[in-house]
Amino acid sequence: MRTSAAPASGWPTPGRLPDAPDHPPEALAIRTAGLSKSYRHNWTGRIVTGLDELNLEVRLGEVMGYLGPNGAGKTTTLKLLTGLLKPTRGDAWLMGVPIQQVSSRRRIGFLPEQPYFYEYLNGMEYLELAGQLSGLAGQEAHQQARGWLGRVGLGERPRLVLRKYSKGMLQRLGLAAALLHQPDVLILDEPMSGLDPFGRRDVRDLILEQRERGTTVLFSSHILPDVEILCDRVAIILGGRLTRVATVGQLVGASHQQVEIRCTVVPPFAPEPGLVGTVERRDRPHETSFLLHDDTRLGEMLAWLLRVGAQVRAVTPQRATLEELFLATAARADADGHADERRSA
Amino acid sequence: MKAAAIARNTFREATRDRALTGVLVAGVALILATQALGALALGEESRLTVDLGLSAISGFGLLVIVLVGTSLVAKEIERRTIFNLLSRPIGRPAYLLGKWLGLSSALWVVVAVLGLVVWLMLEVRGHGGYGPAVAEAAYLAGLELTVVTGLAVLFSALSTPVLSTLYTVGFYCAGQWSWDLRDFAERAPGALGVTLRVAADLVPNLPIFNMRALAAHGQVTTPFHLGLATLYALVYCGCVLALAAAAFESRDFK
Repeated sequence: MRTSAAPASGWPTPGRLPDAPDHPPEALAIRTAGLSKSYRHNWTGRIVTGLDELNLEVRLGEVMGYLGPNGAGKTTTLKLLTGLLKPTRGDAWLMGVPIQQVSSRRRIGFLPEQPYFYEYLNGMEYLELAGQLSGLAGQEAHQQARGWLGRVGLGERPRLVLRKYSKGMLQRLGLAAALLHQPDVLILDEPMSGLDPFGRRDVRDLILEQRERGTTVLFSSHILPDVEILCDRVAIILGGRLTRVATVGQLVGASHQQVEIRCTVVPPFAPEPGLVGTVERRDRPHETSFLLHDDTRLGEMLAWLLRVGAQVRAVTPQRATLEELFLATAARADADGHADERRSA
Repeated sequence: MKAAAIARNTFREATRDRALTGVLVAGVALILATQALGALALGEESRLTVDLGLSAISGFGLLVIVLVGTSLVAKEIERRTIFNLLSRPIGRPAYLLGKWLGLSSALWVVVAVLGLVVWLMLEVRGHGGYGPAVAEAAYLAGLELTVVTGLAVLFSALSTPVLSTLYTVGFYCAGQWSWDLRDFAERAPGALGVTLRVAADLVPNLPIFNMRALAAHGQVTTPFHLGLATLYALVYCGCVLALAAAAFESRDFK
């Protein structure tokens, strides 16, 4: 584990469970230890690191969001876990079984990013194939395929060939294929990407349903509001390195709270000297709003507004979104990277 | 069990591909066309039908391998459909075995259909006695195509469809000339001779599957020949698939 990546400001150490540092391995659905992947360029021989010493622990039954910008190493991690890539270094276990063993994939369901399907098959045939490959016997695969096709809203035309499916229908079919053998661990790579709001809601509902069932879910996503709704914890990966793991509450709660105060038009007085620098003023035709960056100064601010004769209409606390925190983390890591480069130069 | 599921899917893929239908239609049309040439054959109509019919089975079978087989695995990697398969509890050797079994089954259907048409043509013309010879020759042609399918799976798992086609056709041609290669090796001096002998051992011994000349005269081969050819096909395919599995095992799917 790259302890240097962990800031000393009370953030949990990357990858470790924040409230159970010595969690027994059998209680973990996914565990990686120093998992790394490098690629050698065919012509130049240059080595590119896709994933660097990943130490991640995902508890049984939890939903973990895996965040990072494009090229950060999210898909690489998920492909390593599902056997599509071979690790350069390190180990990983799924439900306690090393990922090198084919049987480690017996209890997982995987939805790749932008899944591709056999266009010559129909929905029923595809799900039957998926079920059989996941270990279901012929008749059971048939029954599960029929059931899941209906559950994801594709049951009315089970014989429709996949080349006639829309993107949303394919995504739902992919989810059904990942779920029909009732896996203990669900690994989803950008499951909401490219979906309309209805499709996103459907996928969200399916994930929530799986959470209720006790399924462990690890999913990568760019759509942070969905992550905020669904996840128990989030892991943030940047440049192939895990930089943060925390509950959504910890991430969001640790940020400074801002407060927006809307009131009647306030003459352009300067705020009291103590408030200068902590407040931003915005004048509109019929109202003035103030954004107070430090909520501990709210009383002081309200007292000043009353003194200058303003009528306060609304006081709204503004919590930083996961998206803002993610961007801030990325910017900080970027700045740290540049600082490191300058130091090494 | 899982290899069987992959095989069933590959069979479905091949049989729903228009290429296979086109090849079958062309093959049947060619065999029917030989009947028009009967008048020019000066009493050798049955021989012409058998010779051209069996050649059509081999030729069109090879065409199916080129059109479908050489991109069998590469296409799955390119289109990323392989992600949905190999992320499940199925070993890569089982996956390759399933692909080979599936396409081989589709080719056996081509062999059976075209063989049946040849036999029907002979029956209609009153040459029913050719039946056993045609059946044996078609069986050996099927074995030959099964061996070439193994090579196509190997090359398809390791390279692009274009290169895979070149390698497969190259091995097919070299395999047809493997006896000549062995003769050259006997006569060639030193290192060249050794190299040619190794090459002759590596390429498939395809002449063992060719009994067209015998069948054209209505003659059957020995059970020993049939048994030996079957054993050789199984062993050669086993070796080729083992090699493919070993190379495929470490492959990354980005």
